[in-house]
Amino acid sequence: MRLPRFEYLEPDDLTQALDMLASHKEDVKIIAGGTDLLVRMKNQLLTPAFVMSMKQLSGLSYIKNHDDTLTIGAKTTLADIVDSDDIQEGYTALAQAAERVGAETIQHHRGTISGNILQDTRCIHYNQSRFHRSGRQPCHKDGGKICYARDEGDRCYSTYQGDMAPALIALEAKVVLSKKDGKRTINLSDLFTSDGFHPFSIEPDELLTEIILPKQKNNSKSAYQRLSYRSAIDYPITSAGVMINSKAEKIKKARIVVGSMSRAPLFMVKASETLAEKSLTDIDAFKEAAGIAMDNAGTFAVHNAGSTLEYRCDMTFVMVLKALEQAAGIEK
Amino acid sequence: MSDYNLIGKRMPRVDSRSKVTGKVRFTADLNLPGMLVGKVKRSPYAHARIVKIDTSKAKALPGVKAVVTGEDTEGVKWGVFAYTRDQQFIQMEKVRYIGDEVAGVAAVDEETALKALDLIEVEYEELPAVFDPLEAMASKGPLIHDDFPDNINVHVNIDTGSVDENFEKSHYIREDTFVAAEESYFQAEPYAVVARFDEEDCLEVWMPNGGPHMKSKPLSNAFKIPLHKVKVKKIAIGGAFGGRSEICPVDYICALLAKRTKAPVKIQFTREENTIATRQGHSMIVTHKTGVDKEGQVLARETTCYMDGGAYSSTGPIATSVPFLSMEQAYRMGSVRYNGYRIYTNKPIRGMIRVHGRAFACGVDTQLDMIADHLSIDPVEIRLKNSRQPGEYTSTKSQVSSCAMDETILKAVEKSKFKEKWGKLPAYHGIGIGTNSVQTGFPMGIRGGSQAFIKFNEDGEATVMSGVVDNGQGNDNMLVQIAAEELGLLPEDIHLVSADTETTSSDPGSYSQVSTFVGGQAVQVAAKNCKKRLFDVAAKILKVEPDTLAAKNRMIYVKDDPEKSIPIKKVVRIALLNFTSVNAQGGYWPKVDMKREWVSNPFGQMCEAFSFGTTIIEVKVDPDTGQVEVLEATAVQDVGKALNPLVLEGQFEGSIAMGGQANLTEYHDWKDGRVLNPTMLEYKLPLACDMPPKINNIIVESVDPKGPYGAKEAGMSIAMSAAQAYAAAVSNAIGVYLDSYPLTPDKILAAIKKKQEEEAKQGAKKARVN
Repeated sequence: MRLPRFEYLEPDDLTQALDMLASHKEDVKIIAGGTDLLVRMKNQLLTPAFVMSMKQLSGLSYIKNHDDTLTIGAKTTLADIVDSDDIQEGYTALAQAAERVGAETIQHHRGTISGNILQDTRCIHYNQSRFHRSGRQPCHKDGGKICYARDEGDRCYSTYQGDMAPALIALEAKVVLSKKDGKRTINLSDLFTSDGFHPFSIEPDELLTEIILPKQKNNSKSAYQRLSYRSAIDYPITSAGVMINSKAEKIKKARIVVGSMSRAPLFMVKASETLAEKSLTDIDAFKEAAGIAMDNAGTFAVHNAGSTLEYRCDMTFVMVLKALEQAAGIEK
Repeated sequence: MSDYNLIGKRMPRVDSRSKVTGKVRFTADLNLPGMLVGKVKRSPYAHARIVKIDTSKAKALPGVKAVVTGEDTEGVKWGVFAYTRDQQFIQMEKVRYIGDEVAGVAAVDEETALKALDLIEVEYEELPAVFDPLEAMASKGPLIHDDFPDNINVHVNIDTGSVDENFEKSHYIREDTFVAAEESYFQAEPYAVVARFDEEDCLEVWMPNGGPHMKSKPLSNAFKIPLHKVKVKKIAIGGAFGGRSEICPVDYICALLAKRTKAPVKIQFTREENTIATRQGHSMIVTHKTGVDKEGQVLARETTCYMDGGAYSSTGPIATSVPFLSMEQAYRMGSVRYNGYRIYTNKPIRGMIRVHGRAFACGVDTQLDMIADHLSIDPVEIRLKNSRQPGEYTSTKSQVSSCAMDETILKAVEKSKFKEKWGKLPAYHGIGIGTNSVQTGFPMGIRGGSQAFIKFNEDGEATVMSGVVDNGQGNDNMLVQIAAEELGLLPEDIHLVSADTETTSSDPGSYSQVSTFVGGQAVQVAAKNCKKRLFDVAAKILKVEPDTLAAKNRMIYVKDDPEKSIPIKKVVRIALLNFTSVNAQGGYWPKVDMKREWVSNPFGQMCEAFSFGTTIIEVKVDPDTGQVEVLEATAVQDVGKALNPLVLEGQFEGSIAMGGQANLTEYHDWKDGRVLNPTMLEYKLPLACDMPPKINNIIVESVDPKGPYGAKEAGMSIAMSAAQAYAAAVSNAIGVYLDSYPLTPDKILAAIKKKQEEEAKQGAKKARVN
């Protein structure tokens, strides 16, 4: 398959990169590894005039441990995240998520954390070649008015299948969005719009430059579980990132995030809240929370990510439960 | 101990090094001077009448060298058999699936060619489309092909008689239906073709193929030029698995573009095109009704099978028969009635595939396990009770000479510790057995035989010419190994010229498991003849009788007095000085029943040899997710004779992947005739990391009386039996006989849940009674 024509930009440093974004805006797409972008371009889902590479922005590749936070540069590879002791120990869910992306041999070294976070929402009816999409009406995400995944679908129901974001949101990550004359820091959860057509709130002239992970008080453990049909090179059909913050064996705060079931990672507020003040060994409480998460996530999902919808919903329960048990230190 | 130097030895393949170093060239790697890029315009509709095609804008685009449509063809229709000619290479009146060819373009580069495709204006009138074989049979809508009523493409009916009487005599009868979705080959190499017409107006063409001669004849028909003017050339091939057996419309389109432009043209498929526009495996619905006596011996079986054939016939009559044939070869049946229907639908064209008939084969074995269960005998005993024995005839009257089916079962059982494990494994652990048989060849009329030529060069090395093609399985090595063995040379002394229609004679091709048996044997005969000529010369020099001589390590020597010897090179040179040429030919034609025909007369000798395989699989199922972890695989096949155990073990392991592991995840997903998973990302092809951690390969040698050195088919019997063993193992693990393939986690989980619910209900009932 052939890439459509584009002009290739390779800024030497961040300032130059932000300048380029400021002048080209919507016409430029950022390549931060390319494992998502190039496939979409080959399918002509995107035909940007400019493609800007982050190749030379080596200053954006770091994992730094501070007093209150851990910061990760946007260009840090998944392999570096997997290899980081700080992340393995303090932010286990993130390391587990990175480990399951793509294949160890390719995506872990090519793929970057920001590239993974900003990967577009997907749908088996949309992520197809131009030929496949011809001979029928375009779908919402393709600029049309039809949804092939859901009868009478009045909007785009494409699914966000990134692995890193559910883990990061469970860990209360923030992201830094930089532009030519300033930057803003937002909760990662706010980066998602829940609009399948336009899944991110990042502006065309902004670059995601850093991920900030707060240091949790008390005893904090996290875990990420995901399900796919194949052991590698496979997007999850459902996933769960959880964090459990506990003191004296009692849960003080829990965060359950479900991925691959909707247009954005879903922070399951109600399911998370039920765990407050529960014991770390209270399996029934975990099951109840997982059940709520499954029911709530199930209302968002459509049949567009392979397997069956029923199975994906059932498995949401299993993934959430497994992640909670793992984070609580319950060996099965 | 055998006296062979090379046969039976673990020899690295002659083509391994060039493949792993990336030196070898595939069709897509070819770059000829002045070569143009060809692209194909395909139908975006599943069923539509072509009202008008306007190519004027495309033709006017700078850089476009030719645009062809059905109007530019001779209108020849392709079909494997005279009675199945239903496919034009470029459609003129109607398109029948999403992907059907409507035009071809040649341009200076890919970008221009793609732009030209967009500029071709095709006006369609959409017709109602059918995507389900049963619906297609009942459809009142327009037929997919006017001359095939009810959209039935092929009906194979086999009846040995006495079926109803034997059902009446049966102690126990079961009727079960099994279904399987369609699967794809996903050859490592997407399809590609390069064509040019040379200065003598001969068509030269390179493409992956299952037999170069199977390509040249339809091309000569389509262009109405003699066979000698079609030169299908040898090129490295990245896998076939049954999906490269026929002419592909783009072979013709590429050649037509080359003819029009007087330049070489290359067409290279995308992965999606390889999936939708070559071949796919058939999806099917199979009902087996089986009657057994008290001991579990099959007295009668009635099988009805509906296969979704897609838009055109392809190998239809063969495809509709082979699942039945594998069954009747593997198992004795008192009587059997078969009705196989291949139905046209508006889906991509279906062909032969390595595990041909998942639902059929898995159904036979699953039902056998169910019957064994009912009769309280174990799966091994019921198989041994019904297994094929040497010397017997199949239901359709093929004699089976060499057969070590029982040995494959017993060895697999022993190695896997089946008896110790069956019924004794912890919850959600399971073990299952599958057995099957594959034919070594089909009746192919005038193309059933193979011929080889050997010439010696003055340096004592030999050139071997054979029509056999290597599309990944190691046929080149097999030919070299046989020639070197017979001629007393080293493998590096053999120069192989093969799979080239200009220089090699007709050959049945390498898709009916017959390359070693027929093509290899032809080389063996030619080499023996050539050796005889060498020995005649050497005998005179050594002053002995020719029959006292042997050849080994580039030397001819006296068997009883090995010191008395002469280098082969010297013999060749002396022969030439004495006005004697050192070359020979040889051929092999399998003795099959030429009157046997797939539909009109499905009785008689099918081929000369049959292979038998048993696979045993041990699995663990996660009851929370339905996911399967394979713990161990044991693959045992009666291959007749292992010419190169190293290659065979590779075949066995590939078969576990493609036959077994694939039966867990591989299927196509559809939306209105569109394949939703045409690429390797969405289609769940197993990866190396999905494979069982332990595979036991056991080769059984029954030494076939007709095969070269006793060899017959190798590998496919494992692929078939692996699919069955995976089904049996998972069924055993969850305590439910699964009837829908592949065995995806959602189906497994649903079966577990249903069973738990039923048990809970029964528990409640019991509680009430108490």
